[in-house]
Amino acid sequence: MKEFELEPGEHVVLEVRKHWFLFLAELLPYAIMAVAPFALPGIFSYAPPLAPYAAFLDFSTPLARAALGVWLLVVWTGAWGAFTKYFLNAWVLTSQRIVNIKQHRFFSRSVSSLFLSRIQDVTTDVHGILSSLLGIGTIKAQTAAEDVQFVMAGIPRPEMMRDLILKYVPEDDSPPPAGV
Amino acid sequence: MSDEPLQPFSPPTSLAGLLPEGVSAGVLVEWALYIVFAFWAIFTIIAIYHWLKYSHASWVAFPAIGVHLFVSITLMAYALSGVIIVSL
Repeated sequence: MKEFELEPGEHVVLEVRKHWFLFLAELLPYAIMAVAPFALPGIFSYAPPLAPYAAFLDFSTPLARAALGVWLLVVWTGAWGAFTKYFLNAWVLTSQRIVNIKQHRFFSRSVSSLFLSRIQDVTTDVHGILSSLLGIGTIKAQTAAEDVQFVMAGIPRPEMMRDLILKYVPEDDSPPPAGV
Repeated sequence: MSDEPLQPFSPPTSLAGLLPEGVSAGVLVEWALYIVFAFWAIFTIIAIYHWLKYSHASWVAFPAIGVHLFVSITLMAYALSGVIIVSL
């Protein structure tokens, strides 16, 4: 792990990303754009006034093939960029802290840590049918300072994650390690 | 509102007359493709840099880069195949 150095005796417990379903939802526009050139001629056939336009989507001509190739390349590259962003965003639970690695966009990245010894309360939120069925939720870790809150949104199996966090929260009131 | 069916617009073939001497529409399309591919190359290099810098230890990094390059090059070959035929 290059983003942060583990303290002596610290080990990584779990590394999680947003739920896969949320990633699939992000890919949906790209899927629609990829299918559109092939689906539109069929759709046009149901609307007679638009039927003549189907001729523009006949990919037998070299120019149309070039246009289709570029279109699919742009869509594919966009989808791959979305996957890159999805994968580079992560939460890492170690035996001493939670690390939030956030890739806002290319060349814009933030890494923040919350030491478990500072956590006072951990809340899980699961709202909606789909979230309940798929196990998608939000975890809010509250510190003693009321304004400091660590939010992990769209996390898979939030109850399991909450239990894991609480398992590693030290029970004594020892001060947080130096360098917080 | 008129009940007449929509008429498909015609491709702007008249614009070909505006091209400089010796530059054909095929060459123009080819250069447009090269510009698109140049942008793709810049984007890909930046994304690979992020993969290797931040997820170098992940088993996903190299397959993800490999799949992207394979699919992209296949699509580029498909796009260029038509243009090459036009140029000939």
